[in-house]
Amino acid sequence: MFDFMKKKSFKIFSPFAGLCIPIEEVKDDVFSQKILGDGIGFKPTQGEVLSPVDGKIIQVVETSHALGIETNNGIEILLHLGINTVSLKGEGFKVFVKEGDKVLRGQKIMEMDIDFVESKGFNTDSVLIITNGDNIKEFEKYPGEVIKGETIVASVKL
Amino acid sequence: MKEFRYVIKDKVGIHARPAGKLVKLVSNFKSIVTIHKADKNVDCKRLFGIMGLGIKCGDEILIKVDGVDEDIAVLEIEKFFNENL
Repeated sequence: MFDFMKKKSFKIFSPFAGLCIPIEEVKDDVFSQKILGDGIGFKPTQGEVLSPVDGKIIQVVETSHALGIETNNGIEILLHLGINTVSLKGEGFKVFVKEGDKVLRGQKIMEMDIDFVESKGFNTDSVLIITNGDNIKEFEKYPGEVIKGETIVASVKL
Repeated sequence: MKEFRYVIKDKVGIHARPAGKLVKLVSNFKSIVTIHKADKNVDCKRLFGIMGLGIKCGDEILIKVDGVDEDIAVLEIEKFFNENL
């Protein structure tokens, strides 16, 4: 019901400050080969992570380096901070939301201690992935320098 | 319907990487595949479903495969678990 009222497109705003890169350039096969779905990569220069869309938190991994957001039109987005950072077991990461929370675009949801993560020998490249991409028609990406919460990094049509 | 049980040996359990590979594998089959842990079960074609189970090293899970290609699917999925998890 009310499906006809749902918006058929939305924009994704940069969760990070830094550089937005094609997902193919992220140094991890599971991301670059789009095994989790299509998306965009980031080279963050600051640790703060903002919600890229309005939606609801559907998952926070125990190790605090990744979470899932469902947009108001049912698209599921995975934010994953750093490469192989599951091994850090939460060290260097903070999450400010929990499963079930509604979030607004631009709201601070996570933080990565970039210096710490790098000092442990990890790459801090991060990704934003649409994990249920079968439901979308178009996913246009705009790589380049980004201002967190302000730069539009992608637009999605359902 | 086919099923098998498996005890996770990977020390970090089923996190994003293996969950993604599992979804990718299962999506090749027409069968409905569910993953069960204790009293919860989820669709194996949905990344956040699998990650939401929070499957850790030592956990026993049950995989159920139901559909026209269940014979080949269950073999491939079991092989995946043995090799990756």
